[in-house]
Amino acid sequence: MRVHRETPIQGSRFSTHPPRPMPINDLLSELGILPLRAIAVQSMLLMVAIVLEAMVLRQQLRLGYRTSMQYAATLNLLATSLGWVAFLAIEAVLPLALRSQIISYVLFNRFYVNTWYDALPVVVVVVAIAAFFITYWIKLQGLLWLLQLLGQKPVDDTPEAIEGDRRQRYERARRVQLEGRQGNSPRALAMLQANAASFTAVLLLLLLINQSGVLGW
Amino acid sequence: MVGFFGFLRQTLVELWQAVLPPRYFSWQTVIYMSLFSWLMSLLARLVEATAFTVGLLATISWICLALGVGWALEANRVRLFGIPVAPWVSGAILCIFLFGSWGGRWLQPALVSWPLVSFAVIAVPSLVSWDFDLKKPPPMVRQQLALLFCLSLLFSSWFQFYFRIQTWVREYPSLVADSVDHSAFVYRFPGQEVALPAGVTHLTIAEEMLREQIDNKPWPSVERWLLNLDGQRQALQRRVQSQMGRDADLEDSLWRLDFQPLANGDGYTLKLWAIWSGPAANPSGYYLEKTCLLMPVNRSSPVDAETAAPGYTTTQWASLTCDLQTPRQAGHPRGTQQQSSS
Repeated sequence: MRVHRETPIQGSRFSTHPPRPMPINDLLSELGILPLRAIAVQSMLLMVAIVLEAMVLRQQLRLGYRTSMQYAATLNLLATSLGWVAFLAIEAVLPLALRSQIISYVLFNRFYVNTWYDALPVVVVVVAIAAFFITYWIKLQGLLWLLQLLGQKPVDDTPEAIEGDRRQRYERARRVQLEGRQGNSPRALAMLQANAASFTAVLLLLLLINQSGVLGW
Repeated sequence: MVGFFGFLRQTLVELWQAVLPPRYFSWQTVIYMSLFSWLMSLLARLVEATAFTVGLLATISWICLALGVGWALEANRVRLFGIPVAPWVSGAILCIFLFGSWGGRWLQPALVSWPLVSFAVIAVPSLVSWDFDLKKPPPMVRQQLALLFCLSLLFSSWFQFYFRIQTWVREYPSLVADSVDHSAFVYRFPGQEVALPAGVTHLTIAEEMLREQIDNKPWPSVERWLLNLDGQRQALQRRVQSQMGRDADLEDSLWRLDFQPLANGDGYTLKLWAIWSGPAANPSGYYLEKTCLLMPVNRSSPVDAETAAPGYTTTQWASLTCDLQTPRQAGHPRGTQQQSSS
């Protein structure tokens, strides 16, 4: 008595595109879901952050254009890649319900209703604040480490720093003396300002992107 | 005749000059060493030398190949958007060599370590001198190396993120059946064939069980079966879980099965639902619906009519017909969003 209607199997409206014989399409479907938007957005945000931080560092630490750009680029790339490493490591050990919220956010740009749903705004804000301070710490440590690597721990003797008139050099010497007394506080302050500037800009840009319609998605 | 031989000779000489390296210290030499080493490893395999010998020769061959190709690209100053490609190609060859022999999922470690290996290819010549002493490059180079290291770590993380997404998709296969158009992270090239969500399988299992229990059964017993709706729902749920138990995914706990009979003339319309309570593109989630028609039919065979007692001659039997389609609907079939416990 099995009476099936004579229709081709059509499980859902997503199911049946006829497979095209193009090999490139086979390759693309083999690759599946690609994190291309993340890469594009992150590259853009990194450029914005690097330029902003370079401006702040240049003003606060009186570095040359090239030097400040190099420092800002190195520190931001370091913080970003360490952030990725941390995310990938933590994501693997999170409870399943929270993990599926991350999956939902990455794939569908929204959280879904489960046991974590009500706690999520708090979690996001706490994580964001923690991210700010951890990033700041990494960048500050990275800056000190980078200066040490470049052999510039005691005095700034980059070619740009040596150039310049006497007054600048006098100021520089005074500042170095000041630094000797106060430790790394000018650097710490400059880094804090730079980090705050770049986080603010990135946050604004992310909010702008998430308003539907921008960039076409 | 003489002209022909002259031409042949000329060609051979030109060929020889093209093949012969201009100096001994050149990339052609390294490539030839790689070829020679590879041929020797084949030979060693033929004469059944020890695995160590074969492996050593093959390793030398791979390393010479990576060095030679990198040197050739660098010597010809091959640039892609102004970036030298030589270290990346050398790194790729080294990664294929290092991880290709693993078999299985070798692509993941190979791709993830590719940027870092390429960085090592760039860094080692400026950090280690020819007599294997550590040397200290000038600050400019050190700054560039630090920048490059952070960049290659970032590239490596992006590859790792890609593979993490593939892990999610393996654990929750129904996710690929949804649209990722609104994602800020991922992109899927359009025009691909997309798999069906696992709920379709669940509905098929449920349909099989319904057939066993109520298809071709006397109508009164079917009516009685329908009285215990909650019990039947639980039985259906258990049945699907046990059937899927063999290849259970993490996502199976996110599917719920439900059904509801609706009066339809003499019989019923059975709505079977596989409800997805996991991440979905639609804010209210989605469910798959299978519609079955449960109807009483009169089957009074002549034999029955003679033997059976009067009054039972026109026994009604149940007939179940199910649609093959499982259309996907947004929201929840019962209207209210029921919070799942997972």
